[in-house]
Amino acid sequence: MAETVTWKIGGEAGFGIMSAGIMLARAFSRLGYHTFATNEYPSLIRGGHNLITVRIATKRFEAMHREVHILVALNAETVTLHRDELSEGAIVVYDPNDQEWQALDFPKPVHLVAIPFKTIVTQKKAEPVMRNTVALGATVALLGAPLDVLSTVISDQFSKKGGTVITGNVEIARAGYDLVKKDAAVLSVCHLDPAEKSEPLLMINGSEAVGVGAVRGGLKFAAIYPMTPINSLITFLADHAKSLGIVYKQPEDEIAGINMAIGASVAGARSMVATSGGGFALMVEGLSLAGMVEAPLVIDMGMRVGPATGMPTWTEQGELLFVVRAGHGEFARIVLAPGDAGEAYKETVRAFQLADTFQTPVFVLTDKYINESQWCVPKSVFTGDIVIDRGNVADPSTLPAEGAYPRYRADSPDGVSARTFPGTKHGQYFINSYEHDDVGHATEDPAKRIAMVEKRKRKLAAIEREAPLPVVYGDEKAEITFLTWGSTKGPVLEALEMADYTIGGKKANMVHFTWVYPLPAGKVAKLLGGKKRIIDVEQNATAQFASLLREATGIEIQEKLLKFDGRPFYPEEILEKVKVKTIFR
Amino acid sequence: MPTLTADAFKTSFLPTWCPGCGDFGIWMSLKDALAKLGIGPDDGLLVYGIGCHGNMYDWMRIYDFAGLHGRALPVAQGAKLANHTLPVVVISGDGDCLGEGGNHFIHAAKRNPDVTVIIHDNQVYGLTTGQASPTAKAGFQTKSTPEGVTDEPINPLTLALTAGATFVARGFAGDIPGLSKIMAEAIKHKGFSVVDVLQPCVTFDKVHTYMWYRQRLYTLESSGYVPDTRLHAMEKAMEWGDKIPVGIFYREDKPTSEDREPALAGGPLVSLPLTVPNLDALLAEFI
Repeated sequence: MAETVTWKIGGEAGFGIMSAGIMLARAFSRLGYHTFATNEYPSLIRGGHNLITVRIATKRFEAMHREVHILVALNAETVTLHRDELSEGAIVVYDPNDQEWQALDFPKPVHLVAIPFKTIVTQKKAEPVMRNTVALGATVALLGAPLDVLSTVISDQFSKKGGTVITGNVEIARAGYDLVKKDAAVLSVCHLDPAEKSEPLLMINGSEAVGVGAVRGGLKFAAIYPMTPINSLITFLADHAKSLGIVYKQPEDEIAGINMAIGASVAGARSMVATSGGGFALMVEGLSLAGMVEAPLVIDMGMRVGPATGMPTWTEQGELLFVVRAGHGEFARIVLAPGDAGEAYKETVRAFQLADTFQTPVFVLTDKYINESQWCVPKSVFTGDIVIDRGNVADPSTLPAEGAYPRYRADSPDGVSARTFPGTKHGQYFINSYEHDDVGHATEDPAKRIAMVEKRKRKLAAIEREAPLPVVYGDEKAEITFLTWGSTKGPVLEALEMADYTIGGKKANMVHFTWVYPLPAGKVAKLLGGKKRIIDVEQNATAQFASLLREATGIEIQEKLLKFDGRPFYPEEILEKVKVKTIFR
Repeated sequence: MPTLTADAFKTSFLPTWCPGCGDFGIWMSLKDALAKLGIGPDDGLLVYGIGCHGNMYDWMRIYDFAGLHGRALPVAQGAKLANHTLPVVVISGDGDCLGEGGNHFIHAAKRNPDVTVIIHDNQVYGLTTGQASPTAKAGFQTKSTPEGVTDEPINPLTLALTAGATFVARGFAGDIPGLSKIMAEAIKHKGFSVVDVLQPCVTFDKVHTYMWYRQRLYTLESSGYVPDTRLHAMEKAMEWGDKIPVGIFYREDKPTSEDREPALAGGPLVSLPLTVPNLDALLAEFI
């Protein structure tokens, strides 16, 4: 019996690898198990090596483990590429039509389970892609669960395709299930302990969580050009445009996207764009426009491996300094970096509120690992009450009849001034990308220029006052502190859990930043000052957050644990590396 | 209700265009057209690019969005989708709309938003002191083409027609009554309407003067032309030389991009509720 099982399925693109992983994770989350699924794939539609890893556990966990307990190989390459990851006693499910494997082919002792996927789909006159369903049936048997767990997920998955498709899939899953029950019944190593079912758990990827956060945060308009890793946000918004009363528009490019969103925002609709590094590079001019005309705008920047096209389907935290510095000229912005899907939801809701409050762009900085992994999140995370406050909008009944409206009045302490929406009686003003006076007329007068620069700058100070402290996981007084932001949260937290928050006999904790810019400098300096050993953990090559932290607080982090091969951290590798006293540089 | 006149759009700013610039004629025609249609300073949105045309906003009192070079059309489409009851007109130039913003122009035409674009077409970049624009004709000598333009010029009308625009017209900045009438028709048209305005640049173009145009222009209306066929419009739009037609080349009724958005059936986006109507059903999709 097992408390946690890591399952991996691999094959060519077009084999239904991703959907198999998602269905398995969903089947077990419905039983109350905590699950997580993360994918690896090249930028291809057919061929190449596709992979999804699912972890299923009786208790909540924060990240994947490195060791794999069940490997399902839909082609021989999957075994070759992943046999080194197998734990002792792992189960390898393979198709003898591809290749016959022997115990000696593996570095550790494993159990080999031959399932002729190809033969089964041919005999059942099923589509070749349905090998993934055979594999799912076999997996459920190996995990010691009843087949029903899977059939309900199958019937939901194919509900639009009708009864015949559902029956066909259930039947072929049963074939895989029966084979394991008959031939490999002795294999109870991976039978899962029962889980306690409490509240419903959502299986949701980070992009979808951003989507739910956006619509709960009052999103009305989105213009998003397709790009990995934010494409499932497009699917979510387009699928729900009618039922949720929103408009999703596919623009001709990212330049059009951000300008459309700014137009909609200024006209009065809460608006967003989403993209990755290359697309954001095209948006930079528009970002500066939003800063100048003081348009509320939410930008989901889903990072992936750069520079240029880089490794487009892999993960990295390489754009932090890019989004903090992007745009010509100086203006305020906010950068929020969720660490998982639950945080992606919450930070997106917060982003929409902050954008209206400060009338300025707000980033939700995600990455491929967050955007495309399937996260297990309790339903209650998404159901709290949300009060939508449009911020400083002028009351139309108070607008004077004469003259243009001073929308950019520069005398408020926080730099925020009351706006009007085009079409409002007596609210006419000039929305101007040129430097402007209080009604928006262009100006090059030095006193007026200074007043406007200071107005926009006061927003940054006001935002900094609003910035929350990072969250401390573990004992506040611990001697060793891991510094994380965004998606390094899960692997580090999991590592600490595995080590019982103790490293080399010393207490360790984690300080996690979701609000990454602007930092509340004084408070952060107080929190981190005097710490004996701080280890900065980032998924990039230049420790970008450490630079921001040093800029804001003067604190220089000596130890940096950096990873930039496109793969997320494993908790095991974090523990291995910190046991060596000083890690990098 | 007091009658709206062109005076309603007055600001404390005076135009900074060169004396005799074609922009004056376009500006006066636009004010006249908006007043005739009853669109006052609080009732509509004008979106400008960057160029001599774009300086108009300072002396044109209405909700104005002076955006970035080439990006007026996306801003206009976003604003229109947010509030489709708002009349939206884009004021652009040949460089702004067909150079920097060429891709936006093509895609706006294929979407058919209920937006009008008025292109100040003078074959030069006036604000940067006289380089060739995308509509500059072969052989035209400018600061960036001392030996004369060698590229083919873009024809804004044929480009609009092939990309799917549902109202395509050409006017002349030297004929305010005629241009104002075309503009009013364009703004009234439900769909993407393009008005290419031939406009002399008195400072950087000594060839295409008011006189040069007056000797060649004739109105489509007077020739008995009916603007209901895209192919005929293409043929007419390619006429250039001793005789140059102005007027409405093509007009078609077709659903707009706003008509095709199911959410907008319930009213303008800005007036729709900001809450999720059935959160449980939405979340159930992920369980």
